[in-house]
Amino acid sequence: MICREVKRVVYFFLDGSLGPNKKQDFDKHLKLCPDCDARTKLHERLRAFLKRRVTNLSSAAPDHLKTRLTRSIRAFRNEWSAR
Amino acid sequence: MKTAVANEHEQGWDFERAAMPYVDSLYNTAYRMTRNSEDAEDLVQETYLKAYKYYDKFEEGTNFKAWLFKIMKNTFINNYRKKKLTPHKIDFSEIEESYERVIQKNAPDLIKDPETEIFQDMMDEDVKRALDSLPHDYKMVVLLADIEGFSYKEIAEILDCPVGTVMSRLYRGRKMLERTLLEYARKYGYIRGEAEPAKMRSRKDEAKPRKKKDGAGDEPEAQEPEENEEAVLFTGTEDEEFEFEVEETEEEQFEVE
Ligand SMILES: [Zn+2]
Repeated sequence: MICREVKRVVYFFLDGSLGPNKKQDFDKHLKLCPDCDARTKLHERLRAFLKRRVTNLSSAAPDHLKTRLTRSIRAFRNEWSAR
Repeated sequence: MKTAVANEHEQGWDFERAAMPYVDSLYNTAYRMTRNSEDAEDLVQETYLKAYKYYDKFEEGTNFKAWLFKIMKNTFINNYRKKKLTPHKIDFSEIEESYERVIQKNAPDLIKDPETEIFQDMMDEDVKRALDSLPHDYKMVVLLADIEGFSYKEIAEILDCPVGTVMSRLYRGRKMLERTLLEYARKYGYIRGEAEPAKMRSRKDEAKPRKKKDGAGDEPEAQEPEENEEAVLFTGTEDEEFEFEVEETEEEQFEVE
């Protein structure tokens, strides 16, 4: 595996979706190539950063929405059963 | 024996029990799709009503959350396709090139201390802005994969597209997003200083934009494998695989690498 290929598949490596042979080649390359090793770790950290921060940004659905959903589902149900 | 009405009722409660736990996930994704809370709430409500209506079509044993997301995505496309988002032009060779520039400039400092949380101080606003800077389709796959934790296959199912399309969008979406984060990080001082070229060796040859046909003479051995890889990894073009695109123009851009 050459550096260029490592760059092509690095995300799929991190997703755990490389086949066993490719994965082995990838691991082997990282042991020999500090550049690719560092970049792989950086991708990993960027992903963790994003996940953490976007999750923090997320808020629970507002209560009024939940009420609205439940209400409209039930209204819909009643409408249906009335038919 | 139950009456039809009783069945109806039972199914209703069952649906509520099954669907309500996903309301936060759906709402947050809806919010990122529509970018405002009012539209997000409407989208979630419509999604729930549709899902309820077609609940008997849901196949037991398949992923219910993915099924809800798929309904939401279809609803979104139906409602918003006409409004049409501003089409983005994507020049992918430019992305690869600028990504290399950015990473060479910014990454060494980050790599030096792997223990610290990167961009610890980055403001929420900047994280949000970086995410919103992605074209819609790319934002979707990144959110579904990296935030909601769906598999490629589930995302392909949700978005009605081949797994290869999911993978190529993920590749590019993640790359664009990382680049933007690194750029913001530098611009707003979350990371410091110029890189020392020694730490991360120059990747001049790899950082070059994808070849132009007329420059066929230079660096033949570096370019050849890339084309092959592309063929292996990303089978098919995006264009032919998408019937309902929010941003058709963007799809056309895809070919121009
Ligand atoms: Zn390497």
